[in-house]
Amino acid sequence: MFQNRKEGLALALPAAIFTALLFLLPVGMLLSEGFKVDGLWSMQGYIDFATKPLNQTVFLRTLKLGFLVVLVSAIIGYACAFCIVNLEGRHRGRVFGLIVLPLMISPVARTYAWIVILGRTGIVNDTITGLGLSETPIRILFTETAVFIGLLQLFLPLMIISLVSAMENLPNDVIPAARVLGASWFKVFTKIILPLTKDGLVIGGTLVFTGSLTAYITPAILGGSKVLMLETLLYQRVNVANDFVSAGIIATILIIMSFGANVLLKRIATARD
Amino acid sequence: MKFFLCSAVSLSFLASAVIAQDRTLTISVYSFGKDAMDEAVFSPFEEVCGCDVVIETGRSVERMAKIEANAADPVIDVAVMSAQDALSLARQDLLSPMEFAKISSHADLYESAQDPLGNQTALGYGFYATSIVYRSDLVQIDSWADLLSDDLKGRVALPNITGTQGPLTLEMISKALGHEGADYAATIDAIGAQADEIVTFYNRSSELAQLMMQEEVIAAPVGRFAWSRFSGADLPFAWAEPAEGQTGGMNVIVMTKDNGNEDLSYQFIDYWLSTKVQTRVAEAGLDSPANSKVIVSDEAAARLTYGADLINSLKMLDPAAIIDNREAWVDRWNEKVVN
Repeated sequence: MFQNRKEGLALALPAAIFTALLFLLPVGMLLSEGFKVDGLWSMQGYIDFATKPLNQTVFLRTLKLGFLVVLVSAIIGYACAFCIVNLEGRHRGRVFGLIVLPLMISPVARTYAWIVILGRTGIVNDTITGLGLSETPIRILFTETAVFIGLLQLFLPLMIISLVSAMENLPNDVIPAARVLGASWFKVFTKIILPLTKDGLVIGGTLVFTGSLTAYITPAILGGSKVLMLETLLYQRVNVANDFVSAGIIATILIIMSFGANVLLKRIATARD
Repeated sequence: MKFFLCSAVSLSFLASAVIAQDRTLTISVYSFGKDAMDEAVFSPFEEVCGCDVVIETGRSVERMAKIEANAADPVIDVAVMSAQDALSLARQDLLSPMEFAKISSHADLYESAQDPLGNQTALGYGFYATSIVYRSDLVQIDSWADLLSDDLKGRVALPNITGTQGPLTLEMISKALGHEGADYAATIDAIGAQADEIVTFYNRSSELAQLMMQEEVIAAPVGRFAWSRFSGADLPFAWAEPAEGQTGGMNVIVMTKDNGNEDLSYQFIDYWLSTKVQTRVAEAGLDSPANSKVIVSDEAAARLTYGADLINSLKMLDPAAIIDNREAWVDRWNEKVVN
């Protein structure tokens, strides 16, 4: 398209300068504060952060919930995606529309709905007490369970969409062929579906994990101050303590975790080749 | 001659317009009820002073950060905030000491509002009481210690330590439990021991209101400024008068140092603290008055922290104690309560 490479680079230069000056530089400056103590480069900020018991608890909780959401969304996502790709065209569009619909609703509205559903007088507790499973309502709100449910509901559509795209590219005859040859459904999944849809799983997994790490509204509303996650801790450090150094450290950890999850999922996917 | 006259007149209009444009006062305020405050205070003041008023809002930390960042050339002339935040700025020498003689309404303020920081850098403009709001059909609250009683296990919310109401609650529970010491260590430990039984540690009164409306929580400490969220509800909410009394706080108005707009700043502060404006603000339910001459209707009084008896009885925390101990409180809270 271009006469030479220089012309292409020249066209990209304004956007690159804009991004570098207005995004990369300020973010770099903010994050670099975590590597300084009294103006000198040091890792002491990270050491102090890592040795605080609260930070350790919050880090492990964030990691645990992130992986749990990815795992459960992958299980549900594969089942949903398999059903969707096997539906007739007209029904497929409708069901797919229902999957996508929640993404068009504000996360705030979706999360507030969970407060009503999971509360003492909500539908879940009404069902539990109605069935006689418990005499008194169970506390679900402001627990890790509530945050897990909220995050799963928030990001499950992304996993389903990724897996549907991947499964649509599966050759039509591979699953019937495997079944005819006597493969169980478990073998069909592990030997055929999973290897052939690994790219969709990596994309969906990365989106869900990164989303779970960075979502603020859901952990803040459903977990409150009792179930702190890294993102709610970050907000607390900035807005309550005006402590941008700790906030920069948390942001760096979140970025590393996101990249780490992507690399790990790719490794898992390629290991099956 | 006619030509010169017309020119002179148009020039004078132009000059007055330029002067009016130059007379701009920038005020940093809480975002709560901004439109109503605009109607009650800021717009009428613009007419009085013939100047423009620029309003900046945001969270306390953001607003304080802006004052700190622009210390050399202040972009904010006047700000309202909590007494402890004002003291924090005063300790950094970012506030201008005020000549109270220039504020005619100064003498009308309650004594505790006349120089709350003791260095003439702030004036109280509003009080708030803090007590316990509860469901009177389900429970009776007679003491701050009731919040940790067996009867209320699993039905109480407490304010987070990081908010304004958190330390106030610690102070009153400490009094009720007979714990001593500004570090509140024994009280934080007692709350930590029951942390699983406390529904949540809320950050905003709006959050608490929703939880109480859906009966998730039936008792919680809250500032009187949020009482209207409960008093108008269908459910029977009551405002407790515990044996240990009510606590509370004061919001203050401050002037930034070397802002170059001192005259207009004094004029505005005097205007806001005047009996007329404080009455208007109180009747609108926006702030409880710090001006002792304010007389409001019974209906408005019921919503506010109003009257000398109540205000003088509030057990307020020393702003210096809050600043000096806050980090230790948060550390212990994180260790014992939310970890």
